[in-house]
Amino acid sequence: MSVLLESSSTSAAMRRNFWAGVWRVMKRKPSRMVGAVLVLGFVFMGVFGPMFYPAQLPLDPTRITAPPSWEHWLGTDDQGRDVIALVVTGSRYVLLAALVTAVITVVVGTGIGLFSGFKRGRWDNVLMRLTDMKLTIPGLPLLLVLSTVWKFSSAIQMGLVLGLLGWGGVARAVRSQTLSLRERGFIEAARGLGLPTRHIVGKELLPSMAPYIAMNMLIAVTGGVYAQVGLFFLGVLPYESNNWGQMLNTAVFRSGALQVPSALGFLIGPLLAILLLTLAIVLVVDAMDEIFNPRLREE
Amino acid sequence: MVVIARRLAGHLARGVVMILVVATISFFIVRSIPGDPVAANVQKLVQQGMDQQAAEQATRVLYGFQPKGSLWEQYTQYMSGLLRFDLGQSITHAGAPVTQVLGEAAKWTVLPVLVGTLLSFLVGILMGVYAAIKRSGKLGDVLAISGSLLHGIPQYVLGLLLSAVFATLIPILPGDGPVDILFEPGFNAGYIGSLAQHAVLPVLTYALASYGGWILAMKSSVVTVLGDDFILAAELRGMKRSIIFRYIARNAILPLFTILALSLGLLLGGAVFIERIFNYPGLGLLLLDSITMRDYALMGGAFLLITVSIIVANILADLFYSAIDPRVRSGEEVSS
Repeated sequence: MSVLLESSSTSAAMRRNFWAGVWRVMKRKPSRMVGAVLVLGFVFMGVFGPMFYPAQLPLDPTRITAPPSWEHWLGTDDQGRDVIALVVTGSRYVLLAALVTAVITVVVGTGIGLFSGFKRGRWDNVLMRLTDMKLTIPGLPLLLVLSTVWKFSSAIQMGLVLGLLGWGGVARAVRSQTLSLRERGFIEAARGLGLPTRHIVGKELLPSMAPYIAMNMLIAVTGGVYAQVGLFFLGVLPYESNNWGQMLNTAVFRSGALQVPSALGFLIGPLLAILLLTLAIVLVVDAMDEIFNPRLREE
Repeated sequence: MVVIARRLAGHLARGVVMILVVATISFFIVRSIPGDPVAANVQKLVQQGMDQQAAEQATRVLYGFQPKGSLWEQYTQYMSGLLRFDLGQSITHAGAPVTQVLGEAAKWTVLPVLVGTLLSFLVGILMGVYAAIKRSGKLGDVLAISGSLLHGIPQYVLGLLLSAVFATLIPILPGDGPVDILFEPGFNAGYIGSLAQHAVLPVLTYALASYGGWILAMKSSVVTVLGDDFILAAELRGMKRSIIFRYIARNAILPLFTILALSLGLLLGGAVFIERIFNYPGLGLLLLDSITMRDYALMGGAFLLITVSIIVANILADLFYSAIDPRVRSGEEVSS
C-alpha cells in the first residue's frame, strides 16, 4: 500500500514539474503563447464556427466581389457572400479532413515503424522497401492522377486517402528512433527480464517516443491542410462544399483575383487562414521541441 | 570502386522495379477510369465510318495498348511499348507522340527549377551557418523561425502572394505565361529579356519555398558538427577561428548535397502549383491539363516522367555522396 502511495505521489510531482517546465518554456518566448492560442482558436473555429452562421450564407447581388468595406472586412465573393463568413464556415471541412489525415498518418506510420524497428530481420526489410517505394512515388502527381478515378467525396474520405498516402515519412522516422532506443539500457533490461514484447513496446518504447509522435501529428495536420486545399485549388476535384481550397480556386480562376484588385480580399481570406494555421503550428512545435528536448535549452 | 559499382547495380535494379511499379499504377488507373475511355474511342471511330479493326488499331496507337483482349494481354502490350519508349499519342496535341510533348514541356520546368533551387541553396546555407553559430541570439532565433515558417508555407500560398503583390497590386512583373507573344522567338534581346522577366516570379517562388528547408537543414547539420571532438580539439590547439570555421562548414555541408540532388528530383513533381499559378507550360501544367482534358496517355506519361526523374535523382544523390564522403565509401554498412 505504501509503495503504491509513494509511486503515485512521485508521478504527481513529476507531472507538476512537467507543467512547470511547460510554463517556463512558454513564458520565455511569448510567441509560443501566441501559437498555442492560435491553435485553440482554429479548433474553436472548426467546431463551433459554422454555428454562428445560417446554413445558407446571405447573398448580396448588389455587392459581387466587392472590395473590403465596413460590413465585409475582406470583401465578398462572386455571389456577394461575406469572405470572412466563408472562411469560418469552410474551416470545418478543411480541419476535419486534416485531422483524419494526421491520425491515420501517425497511427499507420508509428505502427509500421515500431514493428519494423523492433522486429528487424526479414519483415523490416520488406516493410522498409515498401516505405521507400511510397516515399519515391511523388505524392501530389499521384493524387492528381488518382483524382480521375476517386472522387474524395467527403472530408473523412479525403482525410483517409491523404493519410494512407502520407505515412511513409513517419514510419521511417519512428523506425530509426526505435532502432536507437532498443539498444538503450532500459529496453535491454526489459528484454533481459523476459517481459513480453507487448509490454516493452506499449509501456517502455511508446511513452518515450510520445512527444516525438505528437509533434509529427501536428506537422501532419498542416500537411493534410495543404494537400487538400491544393487539390481543390487546382480544380481537379468536384465542388463538394464550401472550403478554403474551393475559395482559392474560384477567386483565382473565376473571379480573376490576380487580375482585378477588387477581388483580392476573396483571395486573401483563405490565404490568411492557411498562413495563420502554419504560424500557429510552427510556434507550438517549436515550443514542444524545447519542452521535450532539454538539450536544446541552451543558456 | 567495387563497392560503388555494387551500390550502383543495386540502385539501378531498384530503380527499374520502381519504374515498373509506377507504370503499372498508371496502366491500371487508365483501365479503371469510369466510362472506359478506350472503348469509347473505338466506338467513336467506328461511328465516324472506320471499320472495327482500323478503329482498334488507331486506339492502340493512341493509348499504347490493345482495346480488346484480356487485362494481361493489354498490360504486356503497354509494357512492351514502354520498353521502346512508346507511350502512345496525345489526344490534345494533334496526335503528337507523348514523348515529344513531354520533351517540349520539360524544358520549361527544368530551367526555372534549377535556377530557383541553386539560388535558395546558396543563400539558405549561408544563413543556416549563421543561424547555427548565433543560435542563442535574437537574430539566430529570427532566422530559425523564419526558416520553419517558409519551410512550412505551401508553395501555392507563396506563389499566390507573390503574384498578388508583384503582378496585381504593384504591377512591375509579368505573372502570366512564359514570354510575351509580341516577340519573335529566337536569339534576340527582346525575346530573351521577356523570357527572363516572365521567369522572375516562378523562380522566386521556387527559391522562397525551398529556402526555409536549407536554413533548417544547414543549421542542424552545423550544430551537430560543432559538438564533434575534432572541433573541440582544434579549438584547444588554438587554431584560428577562420580555419575552424572552414572545418565546420566543410563537414556540415556534406549531407546537404544529398538533399540537393533529392530536391531537384522532387521539385519537378511539385512544379504543378507554380506552373498553374503563373501559367507556365511545364510538366506540371501538362499533367494538370491532361487530367482536365482526359488525355490519359499523356497523363500516364507525365506521371511516369516525374517519377523517373525522382528515381534518377535518388541514384545520383547516393553515388555523389559515396564519392565525396570517404566514410560511406569504405564502410558500406556503417549503420543500418
